[in-house]
Amino acid sequence: MKQVPLFIVLLLFCVMNLTPVAWGFLTSIRQPVDAFAVPPKLIFEPTFRFHWEIWVDKGFWRFLINTAIVSIFAVTISVSIGSMAAYALSRLRSRAASGLLFSLLAMRMFPHILLAIPFFVIAQAVNLIDSYPAMIIAIVALNQPFTIWLMRSFLAEVPSELYDSAVMDGCTPWQTFRRVALPIVKPGLWVTVLFSLLLAYNEFLLALVLTRTNTKTLPVAIAEYGAEDITYWSLSAAAAIGIMLPILIFMLFMQRHLVRGMAAGAVKG
Amino acid sequence: MASVTIRDVEKSYSEHAVMHGVNIDIEDGEFVILVGPSGCGKSTLLRMIAGLEDITGGDILIGDTVVNDIEPKARNIAMVFQNYALYPHMTVRENMAFALTLNRTDKAEIARRVARAAEILSLGAFLDRYPKQLSGGQRQRVAMGRAIVRDPQVFLFDEPLSNLDAKLRVQMRTEIKELHQRLKTTTIYVTHDQIEAMTMADRIVVMNDGRIEQIGTPLQLYDTPANLFVAGFIGSPGMNFIEGEIENGWFLTADGIALPTPPGAAAGKVVYGIRPEHLVPDPAGVPVDVTVVEPTGPETDVFGKLGRQPIVAAMREGPPVAAGEKLRLTARVERVHLFDAATGRRLPTGIPGQAA
Ligand SMILES: Nc1ncnc2c1ncn2[C@@H]1O[C@H](COP(=O)(O)OP(=O)(O)OP(=O)(O)O)[C@@H](O)[C@H]1O
Ligand SMILES: [Mg+2]
Repeated sequence: MKQVPLFIVLLLFCVMNLTPVAWGFLTSIRQPVDAFAVPPKLIFEPTFRFHWEIWVDKGFWRFLINTAIVSIFAVTISVSIGSMAAYALSRLRSRAASGLLFSLLAMRMFPHILLAIPFFVIAQAVNLIDSYPAMIIAIVALNQPFTIWLMRSFLAEVPSELYDSAVMDGCTPWQTFRRVALPIVKPGLWVTVLFSLLLAYNEFLLALVLTRTNTKTLPVAIAEYGAEDITYWSLSAAAAIGIMLPILIFMLFMQRHLVRGMAAGAVKG
Repeated sequence: MASVTIRDVEKSYSEHAVMHGVNIDIEDGEFVILVGPSGCGKSTLLRMIAGLEDITGGDILIGDTVVNDIEPKARNIAMVFQNYALYPHMTVRENMAFALTLNRTDKAEIARRVARAAEILSLGAFLDRYPKQLSGGQRQRVAMGRAIVRDPQVFLFDEPLSNLDAKLRVQMRTEIKELHQRLKTTTIYVTHDQIEAMTMADRIVVMNDGRIEQIGTPLQLYDTPANLFVAGFIGSPGMNFIEGEIENGWFLTADGIALPTPPGAAAGKVVYGIRPEHLVPDPAGVPVDVTVVEPTGPETDVFGKLGRQPIVAAMREGPPVAAGEKLRLTARVERVHLFDAATGRRLPTGIPGQAA
């Protein structure tokens, strides 16, 4: 019975969060004129025409593939580097290590627009504008402080005796990392993967600056539809609903790991 | 199996010296216990033997080999940690097999050794469980199993029982002792439970502040402690220390009360040491004002004041006493120790078997 108030709060929270999604979905399956009718039209003929139009006719599937390529590479690279760096930093108790950590945090505080300009200049100088590597490197750079901090917070919970034990058992430093540290923080690793994926997948500003026609990602492509003409709204809503699906599917698959990881008890004797 | 020799070993953390020249000779198959107050360097010494810490000075030998620069896995040592340090993501079987898997031992051989360890420690039913599905005592046994499967030359234990409740601790104490009798592997065991030390050890090393105070069998330490520190550390309740002076062959407390004195004591300021269990009721004895009475079952600890100095007696028989009463006690003279008040060293007395 004590759960009831909590339940109501969570319910309100869900409604608040789901309303835009529902609205978007409804917009995507109606004629634009119906979507904006006042009072709202509750009865209408649903159509998936706009979904088809945006993804197939307008070729948005290419932007989805671009986004997927950039995200997968960016996440793989930044989480691998992040885990290794975090492991090293969690085991080094030196001043230099904590200095490094805080400078990472400072980097994270820069507004993205501040970084986007130099990234653009650099990418242009090395002729990488509108290429996958430029986007991947930029996102990795942006995301790296975060993955290091997050992974370090999970790794910091691993008791040092486990590492001593691993050394006694004959682990090389790499094996200690790979066969002891990493499996223990696996739930945390998945949380880091998810957050990195969200960042890479939704990245807009850098994509806007660094991509042109060949490597354009979904968020940029969607943003190009919309404002000016009301008839585009159903299309951009269809795209927005579509962009959610892969993440939703990923979350469903990872749910078990994520809940464990977020509950922080990544390590328990 | 092998002997372990610790020769003039020193340890500093940056500039801060925590170990000042430690020498211990541990024989092949011996069960040696390191005791001492918190922070005296027991774990540090154990970790240096294991190879988990560098050695700042001196040598550590396993068998005839100096192992200072040999990496831990090549020392053929197994260590059991206080918090067990089991890998949470591996089953009991995988935990025990891990070291063997790493050095690519043949699968059948791994299975054979794990089965043997599981049998010795009655862990057969738990092999496919994860550590979090085990009780504290079972985890402790897995930690030992992990050590056993490697068939090491030396076992190191760092306070392995201190996370267990009192009853389980007594049971595991016996199990470890039996294990040692069965495997006869050289064992170095750290504890600050002096009952564990007394009951399990072939020899005890008493450490204090990075130095060794005394090495000896449990009874040697009990009967002939080298100094005040060892005398106070071994035994519970601890030995009574009464300040005073030897005059004309008699010990007089600071309050001028005379106590039975061993023959041959030289005049001067001394500390008079007598264990609580060696004080006996005696109508002709000295008067003690009883302040607290604590029955423990087999004996009753009587706390009181002798003049102005505190004193404890452990009574096995005699009439019951209550707080506020006066009790007349005397010391069994053959059990009296005299310590130099300045240096804390035990002074030789004329009592046979108490040679310095
Ligand atoms: N990594 C370290 N850096 C600096 N000093 C240390 C370090 N490890 C231990 N020390 C110091 O070395 C001394 C010995 O520590 P050690 O852990 O060996 O004590 P111990 O006898 O095992 O104590 P306890 O009974 O509490 O476990 C202590 O003074 C401790 O502060
Ligand atoms: Mg210790």
